[in-house]
Amino acid sequence: MKDMIVQGLQQAYQNLVHMVAEFLPRFVVMLVVILAGLLVAYLLKYGLRALLHLTKLDRLSEETGASRVLRMAALPSMTEVMSRSVFWVTVLGFILVGISVLNIAGLQEQISRLLRLLPEIVVAIVILFLGLVIANFLSRAVLLGAVNAGYASPRLLSWSIRFIIWILAITMATEEVGMARQTVIAAFSIVFGASMLALAIAFGLGGKDLARDFLERNLGDKEKEKAEEPQPL
Amino acid sequence: MSVGEVDLLVAIPSFNNANTIGQTVQVIEESYQQNFIRDRVVILNVDGGSTDHTMDVVASVDGRKAIGRRGLTSLRTVHRVTAQYAKSPSPGMALRTVLATADLLHARSCAIISPTTVSVDTSWIANLLRPAYRQDFDFVAPLYARNKYQGLLARLLLYPMSRAIFGKRVRELYCEEWSFSGRLAMQCLGQDVWNDDAVRARPEAWMGINAICSDLKCCQSFLGPKVLSPVATTQDIVEAVRQTVGNLFWCLENYESQWLNRSGSEPVPTFGPEHEFTEDGRVSNQEKIFELFRTGVTELDSVLASILAPDTYAQIKEISTHAPDKFRFDSELWVKTAYEFAASYHRPGVLTRGHVVQALVPLYRGRMYSFLVEHAESSADEVEADSEALCVEFERQKPYLVQMWKGETQR
Repeated sequence: MKDMIVQGLQQAYQNLVHMVAEFLPRFVVMLVVILAGLLVAYLLKYGLRALLHLTKLDRLSEETGASRVLRMAALPSMTEVMSRSVFWVTVLGFILVGISVLNIAGLQEQISRLLRLLPEIVVAIVILFLGLVIANFLSRAVLLGAVNAGYASPRLLSWSIRFIIWILAITMATEEVGMARQTVIAAFSIVFGASMLALAIAFGLGGKDLARDFLERNLGDKEKEKAEEPQPL
Repeated sequence: MSVGEVDLLVAIPSFNNANTIGQTVQVIEESYQQNFIRDRVVILNVDGGSTDHTMDVVASVDGRKAIGRRGLTSLRTVHRVTAQYAKSPSPGMALRTVLATADLLHARSCAIISPTTVSVDTSWIANLLRPAYRQDFDFVAPLYARNKYQGLLARLLLYPMSRAIFGKRVRELYCEEWSFSGRLAMQCLGQDVWNDDAVRARPEAWMGINAICSDLKCCQSFLGPKVLSPVATTQDIVEAVRQTVGNLFWCLENYESQWLNRSGSEPVPTFGPEHEFTEDGRVSNQEKIFELFRTGVTELDSVLASILAPDTYAQIKEISTHAPDKFRFDSELWVKTAYEFAASYHRPGVLTRGHVVQALVPLYRGRMYSFLVEHAESSADEVEADSEALCVEFERQKPYLVQMWKGETQR
């Protein structure tokens, strides 16, 4: 009995040593790959940045209006966006290669699934980016329009627009990567429906006087409103 | 019947003006008969897709056989040409059609008359056409008799700013009646600007600024009081600012090489009185205007902070807390504000250019309210003196705009 236990422990110990002996070199290789990846990524980032500065990409981007789109999404210059993107894509690629060296069953499959998802992830990122730009643009347009027209609560209107577009963009992006598809769509429907219902109730019942004012101002005697301000030209 | 070549062309851009355009055509014909009896003339109607048979009215209205000043009646035919340039109205496209026609007919002088202005009389046509036809002027801007509350956007911003920047004292660059030479028509027709929103919305101001910047001869001609048809829709302030200020900033952007080194301003020849004010008119519910200014400053804080210099923004926030009767938006602050908006349009940052222009509306309302309070009891001369002082302030601060424009001063 005692021999069997000792033998079992020895076996386990030998397995552990064997596994560690097998794992450690791979782990070291993984670290080396990742470190090399970081080095390559930094080199690529600074090399690309210098190259793009030389080619005056930022000026071109300014002239074509692309820079304004980036600023609207609170992103840095085109050169910076491109060099940082290259950096992170390279780092991510080397990390995945490094992890695959570990040869852990199951993880390999997950990595290859992740790689297969990469195009969808890129599309999802583009959707989120466009959503951000459109949300910023429209919410600001609504804010300016509402302030200039003298509507009540312009910021609330502006934030509602921003919120709805964000929700829509997030839903579309998650739908694109196939993440909890049903849950996301259901969540979107619930949030959107609830927002509309809340607005309807608040506007129709809680703010019926405000609603009346609003309708009178917009559908009623518009000329009377305009006459308050002198002829501009 | 072929029109052939003409000396004079008067164009009427229209859109659903069947009620008033007949009278406009009659007045133009009468003016031709009275004042240009020996000249080859044409009336051109350019229509933006009217659905009320405006073009039929132009073609069918009875011409008057008026007797000229010397007791003569013109034997020449007054041709009428109608053309639809688009299915929806666009002042820019309408003007382009007029210029193309003027070029085709080799017109020496052209005038544009709005069919919504019901106070047009025969002298208006003559006063607009003569300087370009007989005295070799290239751009003739109108001057109107106004009460002190009319045309405040032009008085408080458009005229003083355009005068300080482009160096010519043309009061009514943003107008619906003006005239120009065939030479200027050809020069403008050949430019690649017709798809720009700023030109499409206010082509007359672009044409005037283009003439100023090309050192062509400009003048002003007094027409009289401008009365709009009761059915004409009056333009609201937001739309007026969007179109006119957007156009002015666009011209700053596109003619920078012509204005950056100009300083001061010089008068242009004026036919008739330079200004004529009446002290009548009143503005009801002025507090609403102040309230819109105050709400705008509060609600647009992030937008204004990204346009204005911190010091300017702080001053505006400070004055917005004043009681309405104590409120003053002084000239120095107003000029600084306007120039910082122009510089922001030049380097828009996180905002689009359209949003920069729209964000000016509440601040303009503040300045307008300040004017209304200050000049509630002022005489016409006092109002004019104040306008002149504002123009001088715009000229004094122009180096500040130039610095910001060149990026030498951070907003």
